[in-house]
Amino acid sequence: MPKKKAKNRPEVEKKTEGTISRRSVLKIGAAAGAAGVLAPSMLTSKEALGFQTITEPVICVTPPASPPHHPFVDEFTAPFPADDHPLNPQPTEFPNLGAGEADRAPHPRWAQFSPAHFTYDMSAQAGLHQFHSDYGQTYIWGFNGKFPAPTLFGRYGKSGVVRFRNNLPTTTTTFGRNEITVHLHNGHHGSESDGFAGDFFGTGFWKDNLYPNVYAGIDAFGGNPGADGVGDPREKMGSFWFHDHRAEFTLNNNVLGLNGMYIVYDSTDPGHEHPSAGSLQLPGYYGVTDFPLELVDHRFCPTSGGRTELVNAAGGDKFIVNGKIQPKLTVRRRKYRFRILNTGPTQTYDLTLIKPDGSVGTIVVIATDANFLEHPIPIDAGANAGNSNSTTAPIVAGGLRVSVAERYDIIIDFAQFNAGDKLYLKENRTMNVGNPSPDPLPPGLNIGNVLLQFNVVNREPWFPPDTPAIPATLCTYPTLPATDNTWEWQFVLAGGRFRVKRPFDTIGCVFDPDHSAHCMLQGTTEEWLLNNNIASGWTHPVHIHFEEFRTLKRFVNGVVVGELGNPSLPIAPLHSGRKDVSRLEAGQGALIKMQFRDYSGRYLIHCHNMAHEDNFMMVRWDIVPDQAALDACIANQQVCELEMQAKENYREEVA
Amino acid sequence: MDRRDLLTRPFEPHPASPGVTRYTNAVLRNQNNEAVKFYDDLIRGKQCVVNFFYAECHGSCPAVTQTLKTIYRELKPRMGKDLFFYSLTTKPEEDTSAALKHYAEMRNVDLPGWQFLTGDPYDIETIRFRLFGMDHPGFDGDTTLHSSYLRIINDARNSWGMAQAFASNANILRRIAWQDPPKSYGQRVIESRARQVLIEQEVKKWGYRRDNMS
Repeated sequence: MPKKKAKNRPEVEKKTEGTISRRSVLKIGAAAGAAGVLAPSMLTSKEALGFQTITEPVICVTPPASPPHHPFVDEFTAPFPADDHPLNPQPTEFPNLGAGEADRAPHPRWAQFSPAHFTYDMSAQAGLHQFHSDYGQTYIWGFNGKFPAPTLFGRYGKSGVVRFRNNLPTTTTTFGRNEITVHLHNGHHGSESDGFAGDFFGTGFWKDNLYPNVYAGIDAFGGNPGADGVGDPREKMGSFWFHDHRAEFTLNNNVLGLNGMYIVYDSTDPGHEHPSAGSLQLPGYYGVTDFPLELVDHRFCPTSGGRTELVNAAGGDKFIVNGKIQPKLTVRRRKYRFRILNTGPTQTYDLTLIKPDGSVGTIVVIATDANFLEHPIPIDAGANAGNSNSTTAPIVAGGLRVSVAERYDIIIDFAQFNAGDKLYLKENRTMNVGNPSPDPLPPGLNIGNVLLQFNVVNREPWFPPDTPAIPATLCTYPTLPATDNTWEWQFVLAGGRFRVKRPFDTIGCVFDPDHSAHCMLQGTTEEWLLNNNIASGWTHPVHIHFEEFRTLKRFVNGVVVGELGNPSLPIAPLHSGRKDVSRLEAGQGALIKMQFRDYSGRYLIHCHNMAHEDNFMMVRWDIVPDQAALDACIANQQVCELEMQAKENYREEVA
Repeated sequence: MDRRDLLTRPFEPHPASPGVTRYTNAVLRNQNNEAVKFYDDLIRGKQCVVNFFYAECHGSCPAVTQTLKTIYRELKPRMGKDLFFYSLTTKPEEDTSAALKHYAEMRNVDLPGWQFLTGDPYDIETIRFRLFGMDHPGFDGDTTLHSSYLRIINDARNSWGMAQAFASNANILRRIAWQDPPKSYGQRVIESRARQVLIEQEVKKWGYRRDNMS
């Protein structure tokens, strides 16, 4: 669009798709000016403003199936790295309400972690994305308009501020809700930056999330900040992801695309492959040998104007990796790292690597939910079949089961294959393709099960050489202190709703942003029993904000099936590491142990099946700094007793 | 007064509202024996709270009605203007309009903006299924299970939410507010600035923010 003064040139006011209307920019400026505020940043960067006139999708009648597509046309790529640039206005400890920041508690430990080393500007806005070359553009909501969102990077010891702006349309005909609160899954930071489900803010506003990028244990280990900063380095995490957590609309907003990866490096995992002090020398060039692999499923329908729109928020019959349907990736004969993330919204994946002869190839899991395993775990259908976590129906031999929000960092060594070989990442469920594979598939493989095709080629001289063998020991876990308290959460279906039930509740709790269901002192260690005693076959991937846990025991129907440190009844290998999502299939339970350190505030425990989470299977729990606050928190604790509450209401009526 | 409110036509449904395909346009009867269409007369473009009960219920229903009555007091300026309560009976065979009138008068809830509704059992069952159905035969088939839930609908912004009637009144009010018509950007900026003044005074006085939103 030509840069001309709008008042003299009325014709340039005509809005063009995909461009920013000069007039709309001026209008916003005028509105802000009328209110006596003119945020300096608002007029400096049109892209950051994000007020693009992207026409809303036409609502389509539910089709029987998505349109067909041709497999292996698009390239598999990593989401583009986000741009680190200064924020204007500068981040502040207290919310800068006058400049349009949403209300929040002040950033804790501000003196310690400011000024921020990394600053990112992420604008939630409408955008267009092409999921497949055969398809038209699809209307999405993405951070900076991208699907998946640009990947954010951090480094331990260097704090970051991410400014999440809500530039979503003020009215929308989509199934999304234009209010956001962004959770970093699963960062160790204050609750004001944690994306608490009730803290959402509306369009036109923004909020700074302070991510200190520290290991847990700041107080205990903070005295001697080394190269990787403060905290206990054994609490290292790598593959985070951020996503919208709006209460009741998490599923809708995530299906529209409001999620992305956040990768934090440290000296053991430095983001490159050169030998450097402490480096494990894992495949580590982002987008070259180290790829996020973000899974989601959608249903599409063609609409007028050549667009292909998302039908609804219920998931669908096309499996998408990094925003593309059945893409292909050219891999050199060397090791690659994939950071698998299931962004949902509801389905569980069973992944296998299919070799050219149709057999299951070996993948090596190095991290569960962002935490390195102490020792890498190879999985295949042969000698390492026992390591598979696909142990309940549908059992997939050598499968890696990934429920919603779980992350598994895996390494695939393509050096064992020949140039010209084609390998396939297979999912157990079948998608609707509509066209045959362009390449002959390995025997027994259905094109509908393929997520991604790997084409093996010889390494060119310019391509980074292979990394050394995966170290036998990746890290050492901290020893957890003695347990101070035990607690139990049951994930139930009662009174027609999904609920989180404490043993003393008659019916169970639904999400109440104002009341905490459990209070604990900062610095304590607790054992939590998580129980999915629903007979109807639901799987609940239970996620706990703020802290990583160790699984002490796993149960099936109340019987211990695995115990940490018990050689005669070992815990399943992929449950043995530090995690933040505990997948509870029907009848399963887990005894987990975790410490609550460094911060106090409101956090959440919820089922990460987004349909369940939006249907209230989520409660708030609080960490409080001292005994007086603990007493106050317990006095104000959430009451989930049906009869008792009813009686209270009755008393009020009589009185 | 928000200037936008004057310009907006009242009770305009959202363009993407599923309308009668979700809510049905069943003809129901209220406690005053007036025939009303469920979507056109009750929901179209409006914000409302829908729950199910029956008059002879001695379990949770009276308590839910009492909770709604308490909430009604808080929301009184809006009730009947842009916010409505609809209580549908799950036993339409027993609960005639006269029985509902008796129920409402007995509990002092025959108030403007609050309708007690009965109708054809098939229609009522369909509405209950559409509003509270979970695609699960175990509880979709049980008429007694949904009595403690409030479905909060705002057809003007095509959104709905839910509240548990046994949660605290503040929680229910907050969930109703979550479905409120959106305020304009200017209005919210004015509110934010007013709040910032309070916070600055607080920080100046105490050195820190006492209301830390926890």
